[in-house]
Amino acid sequence: MIARVRGVERFADPGERTLAALLLAPAAVLLALIVVYPIGKLVYNAFFDLRLSGGQHAPFVGFDNFASALQDGIFWNAVWVTVSITIISTIGALLVGLALALLANLPYRIQWPVRLALLLPWAMPLAFAGLIFAWFFNTDYGVVNDWLMRIGIAPRSWLLSPGTAYAAVCITLVWKSASFIALILLAGLQMIPRSLYEAAEVDGATRLQQFREVTLPLLVPSIVVALIFRTIAGLQTFDIPYTMTKGGPAHATQTLAMLIHDTTIDYGDIGYGSALAVLMFLLSMVVTALYLRRIQRD
Amino acid sequence: MNTCTRFLTLAAAVVSLAAVPPALADTVLRVFAGGPQQRTDLTRKMFDEYEKSHPGVKINLESGGATSELQRQYLSTVLGAKDSSLDVLILDIINPAQYYAAGWIEPLNGYLGVKDAKAYMSKYLPAYATADVIDGKVVALPDFADAMFLYYRKDLLDKYGVRPPTTWNDLATVSEKIQQGEKNPNLQGLSFQGAPIEGAVCTFLLPYWSQGKDYQKGVKLDKKAAVNGLDMWLGMVDKGVAKKNIAEVKTGDTVNEFMAGHVVFAINWGFAWDLFQTDAKSKVKGNVGVAKLPAMQGGQPVTCIGGWQWSVSAFSKNKAEAAKLVQFMSSPDVSKYLSINGSLLPVYANVYSDPAVLKVNPWYGLALPVVESAKSRPVTERYAEVSDVVRTQTSAALARVQKPEATVDEIDNRLSRAMR
Repeated sequence: MIARVRGVERFADPGERTLAALLLAPAAVLLALIVVYPIGKLVYNAFFDLRLSGGQHAPFVGFDNFASALQDGIFWNAVWVTVSITIISTIGALLVGLALALLANLPYRIQWPVRLALLLPWAMPLAFAGLIFAWFFNTDYGVVNDWLMRIGIAPRSWLLSPGTAYAAVCITLVWKSASFIALILLAGLQMIPRSLYEAAEVDGATRLQQFREVTLPLLVPSIVVALIFRTIAGLQTFDIPYTMTKGGPAHATQTLAMLIHDTTIDYGDIGYGSALAVLMFLLSMVVTALYLRRIQRD
Repeated sequence: MNTCTRFLTLAAAVVSLAAVPPALADTVLRVFAGGPQQRTDLTRKMFDEYEKSHPGVKINLESGGATSELQRQYLSTVLGAKDSSLDVLILDIINPAQYYAAGWIEPLNGYLGVKDAKAYMSKYLPAYATADVIDGKVVALPDFADAMFLYYRKDLLDKYGVRPPTTWNDLATVSEKIQQGEKNPNLQGLSFQGAPIEGAVCTFLLPYWSQGKDYQKGVKLDKKAAVNGLDMWLGMVDKGVAKKNIAEVKTGDTVNEFMAGHVVFAINWGFAWDLFQTDAKSKVKGNVGVAKLPAMQGGQPVTCIGGWQWSVSAFSKNKAEAAKLVQFMSSPDVSKYLSINGSLLPVYANVYSDPAVLKVNPWYGLALPVVESAKSRPVTERYAEVSDVVRTQTSAALARVQKPEATVDEIDNRLSRAMR
C-alpha cells in the first residue's frame, strides 16, 4: 500500500530530470520522424540500385553509386558550379548588401520607401526572380539587349553561351540575396551607439576613417551571421538557375541541387540521386563546420 | 438570434452540406488530363457526354503541366508515392514503356477482353501498336495522334513562284530567295525547336532518320549521320535562314512567331494548324500551307511521331470503371470530335477521310501517309534519361557551346547503358 502511494507520488511529482525528459519527448519524437528518419532513409537508399522505372527489385550495390558519382565529370562540374556560384554570389551580395544597408541607415525623414525597397526582392519567391531575369536576358525581347542596342552595342544571346549565362545567374542571385544581407547588416548598424561616432568626430576622424575604425569592426558579428546564412543558401542554389537556364547551355549552370533533382525526379534513379544528395550533405557539413569553428574561436 | 446561435446555425448548415454524398452509388473517377496542348477543354466536353450516358459515374478532371516534361515530373511524384488519388492518366507517347516497367500503369488485356494485343491494336495507326503494347500487354490506348509537319506561308511561296521544298537544301535556297525579296530583317526563313525541350529530341533525330538510320535499344547511334544532321541545322543558322538564337526557341515560340507573320517555314506539331487558322492573334489565317518535312540530300522524308495515350493507374481503386472510360476516350467518335474541334490528328486511318473532318482540316489527305510512316523516338523504360541527354546536348550544339562531333560522342557515351 505504501509502495503504491509512493509510486503515485513519484508520478505526480516527478524529479527534474524525468520532467525534462517527458517535456522534451514530443519534440524529440517529431524531430526523429521528420529529420532523422528521412536522412537515415536517404543514406540507406544510396547503397541500392533503386529506380522508379526498375520495377520492384532493388539490388544492394555497396559504394557503387558513390564510385560512379566520383568518376562522373558532370558531378564534379556541378560541384564546381555550386561552390563557385556560392563564393561569387556571397561576396557580391555582401558588397551590395552593405551598400544598401548603409544607404538605408542614413537619417532620412521618411524611411519606409527605402526599407520597403529592401524587403521586396527578399520577399519575392526565388522562381519568380529567375523567370523575371530570364526575360530581362532574353535575346529577342529582353530589356538588357534593348539597352545595349540603344547605346549602339550589338545584342547577344546571354543565356546561350556558358560565360554570360553563368554571369546572368550570378547577377540574379546577387540581386535576390543582397537585400536579405542588407537587412541583417542594417540591424547591426543600428546597434552601434551614436556616441562612438561623436567621439570619433571630436578626435577629428574623417567619414572614411569612421567607417573603417568604428562601423566595420562593430559590424563584423553581423557580417559573419550574414555570410553563414548566405553560404548555406548558396550551396543549395536551385530555383534561379532552374528557371533561368535549366542548367544550360550544356551543364554550364547546373548546380548540385539541380543534378540531384534531374537524377531523382526526371530519371527516377533514386539510388544514384540519394548518393549525390549524401555527397552534397557532406559538402554542406564541411562548410558549416568551418564557420562554426570560426564562431567558437571568436 | 444572438451571434453565438447564428454562428452555430451556420456551422451546422455547412456541415450538413458537406456531409451530403453525391448520390450513394456514384463512382468518382479522377482523371489527369494534361495541359492546354492536350485540349482539356475538349476532353471535359467528352467527359460530360460520358457522364450523361453513364449515370452513376462522375469524372473529376485535373489539369496541369504546360509541357510533356512538367507532366512527367508531376506524375512521377504522384505514382512514385503509389498514390491512389488518380484513376486515369494521359501520357505522352514516349512514357508508357517507362510507366509500365515501373509498375505504375495497369495492363488492360483483362478489362478489354484482349487475346492478341497486336491484333487488338491493329484498328489504330501502326505507331500505337509499338508504343502502347509491352510484353504482349495493352498498357494504354491512344487519344489523339501527332506528328511534325512543315508549315509554310502559301502567300509568300505563291508570290515568288516556288513550290514547297522537298529537301533541306531546297528549303534553304527558297528561304534565302524569299528573305532577300521581302527585305524584312525580321523575317525568318525557318523556325524549329532548339531549346532543351522534348521537341529538340525530334530536332536531333529528324535529319538522322532521313539518312536511313535508326536509334533504338540495341541499335547503335551512327555518329557520322548524327553529325551530318547537326551540321545541316547549323548550316541553316549560318545562311541566316534560321535565327542565331535558335537554341532558345521552344514549340510555343515557333507557333507565336509563325502566327505573327515573322516566319516563312515552321516545323511544328499537328495541333498548331488549329491555332494558325482560328486563333484571334493569328495574322496568317488562310495563308498557311502544310507539307511533309523535307529530306536530307538523297534521303527519305521522315517525321517524328507523337500523340497522347490514356492509361489506368495501377493504384486506382476503380480500375474496371477507369478502363471503360479509357476505351470510350479512344473510340472513333471521340477521335472524330477532337479532329473537327481541335484539329487533333485522328488515331484511326478512316477518320482522316471523313468528309466532316476534311472540311475543317483539308490537309488531312496529306497527313495520313505522313503519320503512318512516322518514326518513334527510342522506346525504352529509361526514356527520361535518353530525352534529357539528347535535348540538352542538341541545344548546346545549336548554341555552339560545343562542336557537333563532341556532342554526338557525349550522347553516345552517356546513353550507352540506357540504350543497351
